[in-house]
Amino acid sequence: MTTFGLLSLLLTLAVTLWSSTASASSDYHEQLFLQPLPQSSLLASFNFRSNTSQQAFDNQHFRYFPRALGQILQHVHTKELHLRFTTGRWDAESWGPRPWGGSKEGGTGVELWAWIDAPDDDEAFGKWIALTQSLSGLFCASLNFVDSTRTTRPVVSFEPTGDHQDVDGLHLLHGTLPGEVVCTENLTPFLKLLPCKGKAGISTLFDGHKLFDAAWQSMSVDMRPICTSDGDCVVQIEQTIDMVLDVERSKRPRSNPIPRPLSNELLACDTSKPYNSEDNCFPLEKGADAAWSISEVFGRTLTGVCPLTGSDGTQEHSVCLRVPHEKQVFITEGSTEIKKEDGFTRCFDPAPAQPFDLSIPEQTVDIPVPREEPILYAERTIVGHGQERGGMRIIFGNPSNTTAVDFILFESLPWFLRPYIHTLQATITGRDGIPTEIAASDLVTSTFYRPAIDRERGTQLEIALSVPAASTVTLTYDFEKAILRYTEYPPDANRGFNVAPAVIRILNVENSAPVYIRSTSLLLPLPTPDFSMPYNVIILTSTVIALAFGTVFNILVRRVVSVDEAAALGAQSLKGRLLGKLVAIRDRFRSKETKVE
Amino acid sequence: MTAKSGDPVSPPAEASTPSKSTQRTTSIYRAHLPIQEMVDWADGKTCRPVYPLEIQVVAPSLQLPESQHLLRTTQHTLDDLNEFAAHHLRLKLTNDTNGSPPRTGNDGVDTLDSTPEHAADIALTVHVRPEEGLVAPRSELQPHTTQLDVFYPPSQIPSPSTSNPPLSIFIAQELQRLYGEEKATIAHILSGETAGLDSASPELTESISRRLRRSMKYAETYHLSFSLFTPGSAPSSWDIEAAIQEYLAPLLDAFAPISNFTIDTQVQLYATFSPMTPAPIYDEAEAAWTLKKEDLSAFINAAEWPLNPSIGSGPTLNFILYVPDPSQSPMIVKENRASSWIVPQWGGVFLLNPSLAKGQTSNPAYLEQDSLQSAFKTFSHQLLTLLGTPSTPLLPSPPSADPHPQSLPSIPIPANVASSVSITLSHLSATCSHLREGRFNAALASARVAENEAERSFFEKTMVGQVYFPDEHKVAVYLPLLGPIGVPLVVGLIKEVKRLVAAWKARRV
Repeated sequence: MTTFGLLSLLLTLAVTLWSSTASASSDYHEQLFLQPLPQSSLLASFNFRSNTSQQAFDNQHFRYFPRALGQILQHVHTKELHLRFTTGRWDAESWGPRPWGGSKEGGTGVELWAWIDAPDDDEAFGKWIALTQSLSGLFCASLNFVDSTRTTRPVVSFEPTGDHQDVDGLHLLHGTLPGEVVCTENLTPFLKLLPCKGKAGISTLFDGHKLFDAAWQSMSVDMRPICTSDGDCVVQIEQTIDMVLDVERSKRPRSNPIPRPLSNELLACDTSKPYNSEDNCFPLEKGADAAWSISEVFGRTLTGVCPLTGSDGTQEHSVCLRVPHEKQVFITEGSTEIKKEDGFTRCFDPAPAQPFDLSIPEQTVDIPVPREEPILYAERTIVGHGQERGGMRIIFGNPSNTTAVDFILFESLPWFLRPYIHTLQATITGRDGIPTEIAASDLVTSTFYRPAIDRERGTQLEIALSVPAASTVTLTYDFEKAILRYTEYPPDANRGFNVAPAVIRILNVENSAPVYIRSTSLLLPLPTPDFSMPYNVIILTSTVIALAFGTVFNILVRRVVSVDEAAALGAQSLKGRLLGKLVAIRDRFRSKETKVE
Repeated sequence: MTAKSGDPVSPPAEASTPSKSTQRTTSIYRAHLPIQEMVDWADGKTCRPVYPLEIQVVAPSLQLPESQHLLRTTQHTLDDLNEFAAHHLRLKLTNDTNGSPPRTGNDGVDTLDSTPEHAADIALTVHVRPEEGLVAPRSELQPHTTQLDVFYPPSQIPSPSTSNPPLSIFIAQELQRLYGEEKATIAHILSGETAGLDSASPELTESISRRLRRSMKYAETYHLSFSLFTPGSAPSSWDIEAAIQEYLAPLLDAFAPISNFTIDTQVQLYATFSPMTPAPIYDEAEAAWTLKKEDLSAFINAAEWPLNPSIGSGPTLNFILYVPDPSQSPMIVKENRASSWIVPQWGGVFLLNPSLAKGQTSNPAYLEQDSLQSAFKTFSHQLLTLLGTPSTPLLPSPPSADPHPQSLPSIPIPANVASSVSITLSHLSATCSHLREGRFNAALASARVAENEAERSFFEKTMVGQVYFPDEHKVAVYLPLLGPIGVPLVVGLIKEVKRLVAAWKARRV
């Protein structure tokens, strides 16, 4: 249980949130979860969730549900929607498992998947395009570039999380934009969707400067219908923002953001090192956790609570913190603190309409929050060299000593990356560190593969795999790089082409909530032509033609005259007069020279 | 559909596939358009719209010759009074209201066709009734129906001998008065000004052009968006469904043959004014917070308030119910103490000041249906104004749809635009002939189709070329060739001209 502490905490939180919504027809909840992570990082997990009755939603009476989003979803018959904006990399080695089991994060850039109600695939795709166009306008993101080449239809990687009456009529479409840079212009529309709009409650902490300065951040919007057994349905919208802030970096004042080196006296050096001297210092790891407060890390304090929360009578704590109970935490007067029984969680209820701050002084605590281990580590890189071919290498590490991990690897590759699936190879490395090549079929239990069509769709590859306990599996396959047409290259063609992150869905988890891992996005260098070539060709061809023309023209217009006539003509012509003047000038200079002599 | 729409069936499919467009990079597909016909329509040369309104006269108390005579003389008087030919009132006689075959008048009075769909096109029914104790005839317009009751003293029954009975003159004047505004409106729309209509008073002209300025362009679908805005956290909910059902649904039912309406509502808390908006000022005399009239245009914080147009075709009309903070309540407009105003061609605003008990520092969390009554009555008036309904409730004129001639030489014209244009034109002709025969519902239906098709082709997105090769670009590409070839040619030409001039001079000397 300790292994999956944070994970299971958030999972149970999510499960309890789901179950608590069943009875209420229209309510709103929000919660901030703070947890210090190793290496002086701080995970802040914001969650906003509201329910609207299905009838009010269908009649377009919007109260908590944002009208702009609701109308888009109704217009394109989208029954369930998941939208993710992510930047940075989750450092699983130091930080452990992902918040919400990875189910509320996306791959780097923008990721969108939705279940669309349509009679056939073509109509579903038409609605999907309308959906991406509308969301593009709503969220100021380049979602309109999700075309058929960036759209896939995953078979086993995603399952609807809502309760749908007619699952057969729903089409799942998935699109990614790994090159999208998520920034403040995406946060502003995201905040506008919240009922309290960043004016009250935990959403007052959002500041674009801090959020997009984080080491990792993920914004998500989820919409799904939830039905009780007696047929009462609500439409739920859940928005989350998760971010990992570097405490030291965030505490820098905005007026003076450049880090300055510490003076020698302030450095904590390891004096046991033989080279330790006035000029050499091996920095000592701090024994105590760094001090921080909400106002320092977020640059502002929290303002009260959103008055819409708890309208259905349930008491919910809007701020929770996961530190050992022994740790000293100071909070603003007027707010209350509740310590949970697990010994590591405490929650706070800020006073309404009052600023709320929370600060932890620098202190050493003997019992640290147990460090959890993720279920699976995954890493994906492009290997190989040259302009023609390359290879993909995916490394899965199973930290458990007892249980194997079953999962599905979902890759959506652009069409200009042509994988050779027959080259799929697996290498297994045990704890002894000796790699053994094994047949990929020994690990792969099933494969769903949809090959690419040039300029129409990308490759879709879903592989169900199993990694044995205490071992690392390396999966490789080769690919060929396509040569694009001249106009298909972007202006920054030499930067490389983004390849969407792989999505890994872990199957054997006891809880019902799904667990996902996403790899980082990749840059694929493609052979790029010399873009000035057409212009060179035009100029060269033109020169040759002009040369030929000049020769012919010259022959055609030249007059053939006798020598006597030529002399007479030459004297009158411009050339003759110019020559005459030149001769006169030369003569004058010569005469001057003779005078000087 | 005309014959033209049949032949280019395959080109749209070809033009839409990307492979085709990459093969022919620089050439542009331009379907044939009947430009001349479109220009004629746009200039109003093809169709002269007429609005013959049928008015049914019911005079059960009169003898048949008497009523026929009354009809004839009234029609004469009407024709004499009318100086606007497009708008023409035609009287028809029925002797009972049950719709039995009516009598036929003689000159200018047609037979009334009492088929059910035709009955709907009768603009007005005039009931002529005797009433004892009257000195002069009087009239009464029934609310909610198209019925005008005319009461006359029994002594004034027109005898067939009199050429100009006072009752006829009275009825004609009443009708003229009733339709005066509508006539002026039609004249205004058709000509752009009411110059052709002498009887229209300057005030009427002004009010018509003002109304047309404020009203929306005709659309098949209007999206009505009702928003509750408040600067604080309360009220956060309202009894909106009941309010719409009670105060708005009857009005929208009446408009159903003309346009469709969709309704959406939202609640927006923490809606603050934009920093540019001047803050309301407390007025001691009024004991209220006042907004200046000239600042009302900045009242809506367009950057912050989520008032984006509804998705789908058709314009959105926004109705904003603003509940001020208790610290700024009550809030009114300074100049006229009003609590509502219209934003022309956009929507309306209503300031709702909830009555607060003494010492109460927050607004109620929930707005009851009763407290929404005045707001929604105002909204329905604003809706009528925005839709351009005249102040006298009569048949609105059908919309006019103009096709757009294409004069840009390098923009592509897909074949579906050409077919849209031909559909528009054929429906416009149908509208014109329906109008001439007074079948307003059919004319309206045709005009709606024409309007839709015209809009669709106007906003055809493939007409905005994705690849654009301006002529300057082509010249730039060929310049390396044209330059070296052009220079010797030009120099040679100059030389040749010089030689000719010299030779000519030499010959003169």
